[in-house]
Amino acid sequence: MTLLKRDPNAPSAWRDEMQVTSRYTFGIAGERFFRAIKDDQQILGSHCNNCERTYVPAAAFCERCMNQLDEWVDVGTVGEVVTFTHLYVNYDGSQREEPETVAFIKLGDGGLIHRLVSSGSHPVEIGMPAKAIFKPSSEREGSILDIVHFELITN
Amino acid sequence: MSLRKVAVVGAGMTKFVRRALETGKELSWQATSMALESCELTMDDIEGVCLGTAPDSFDGVHMKGEYLSDGAGAWRKPYMRSYVGGGTGVFVPIQGWYHVASGMFDVVLVIAEEKMSSYYPHAQGAFLTIFDHTTERPLKPNLLWIFALEMNRYMQTYGISKKDIAQVAVKNKRNAADHPCALLGDRNITVEDVLNSEVLAWPVNRLDVSPVSDGAVALVLAAEHVAKRITDKPVWIEGVGWNLDTAYWTNRDLAYPRYVEYAARMAYDMAGIKEPRKQINIVEPYDPFDYKELHHLEGLLLADRGQAPQLVADGVTLRDGDMPVCPSGGLLGVGNPIAAAGLMKVAELYWQLRGEAGARQVPGQPKRGLAQAWGDLMQVGTVVIMGR
Repeated sequence: MTLLKRDPNAPSAWRDEMQVTSRYTFGIAGERFFRAIKDDQQILGSHCNNCERTYVPAAAFCERCMNQLDEWVDVGTVGEVVTFTHLYVNYDGSQREEPETVAFIKLGDGGLIHRLVSSGSHPVEIGMPAKAIFKPSSEREGSILDIVHFELITN
Repeated sequence: MSLRKVAVVGAGMTKFVRRALETGKELSWQATSMALESCELTMDDIEGVCLGTAPDSFDGVHMKGEYLSDGAGAWRKPYMRSYVGGGTGVFVPIQGWYHVASGMFDVVLVIAEEKMSSYYPHAQGAFLTIFDHTTERPLKPNLLWIFALEMNRYMQTYGISKKDIAQVAVKNKRNAADHPCALLGDRNITVEDVLNSEVLAWPVNRLDVSPVSDGAVALVLAAEHVAKRITDKPVWIEGVGWNLDTAYWTNRDLAYPRYVEYAARMAYDMAGIKEPRKQINIVEPYDPFDYKELHHLEGLLLADRGQAPQLVADGVTLRDGDMPVCPSGGLLGVGNPIAAAGLMKVAELYWQLRGEAGARQVPGQPKRGLAQAWGDLMQVGTVVIMGR
């Protein structure tokens, strides 16, 4: 039985919807982190001198010692593929014709989860470098999707 | 079972605001940092963390306990989120208390957070998700009309008027004018202002209700031998109680909160209190709506049934009255970021009993206070009694 096939002997059920709409604030650190992506195509981390760690995405505080983090650093747009997966099923459960790859790209001591593409024929391998590809500045709005995807660096 | 003595030794609180720039994590971090700073401890001193936060839907993220964990200082520590709806803010210090009283931990951080501004267009929408999907939700209930049904029943049972009840909103919003973190303090508000505010769900008018807010509060709890090293003025948790009634509106007494009485009796017994009206010097009952303060004073056995409005009319519950009630300004005045608002009440007792409440200080060097919250499916009572 595939993911979307339903059991004809299931008990009778009825449907209802709960409308949930939220408006989120970026937060103290998020305001600066996403502004740097939008305005400067930069990925910023914040460094804790006490714990010697650079948080990416940048955080307002160190989760280990709770110190306020005021030292912001540009961690560049190239990171390392820590792990990845190929998605063969869509969000709604339907089958994809071509798999989509998502990966954890290490930047600073943290990193981003994002889509990963390989422009060449080289298969994705853990440990390879990948670079953030940004939307054109006119289309960037301060979102994680201002980064279209990371692209595998194969040469 | 032998239980260890537990003290509150530090407290911190963010401003309660309509919509914070800060994320919930950042609000939690701010309150946590302030609480640690107040008693000169660091995260290295904290052995365990207890977080309280109300429905996930407010912040707009599910599994809020996990989401907020970094701001709550939970990194690589034993950590637990408790949740009993609106009762959470007074339950989470109880959870912290048994962490320490049991002997398992010497120093515990207790934190409560709520960011209600995320829900759109109004936080009331979040409550739709708590009702039974088959018997109740198709009617689109919200808390305003649920409260209105209970308020009407309370008024009818004892012959109480809307004016009697409006005095509570006036007292609390005036008290909140002295609270540096308050959202709705108003020194000049009158009973007429409350009665003339727009009707939301009769008999509830807008100023009968506490405001939707964002905020966080944190406390540091310590076992006796540690508390005495940290501070000269520990405030002891003398009694705790919690109790649950039926979740069916139709199966319980709406005019009298029996579950609050049971929670209070549990706490009074533990604290060795025989005559609560004489032995409790400050009360911080849960006041999301003005009639609830009265309802709860009766459930706490601090007023005869139907007689709480008379205490207000006689000035007994004013900050300089014989039994100050909500000297903080309560939820009606300080604001109501659900779980944080309940813990604010416990923090208020801490500051009042240490003589550190500034312009809000009740006179006469109070010795003992009681904080209470209420919620879940409107049928849980949580009580903490603290003394010095």
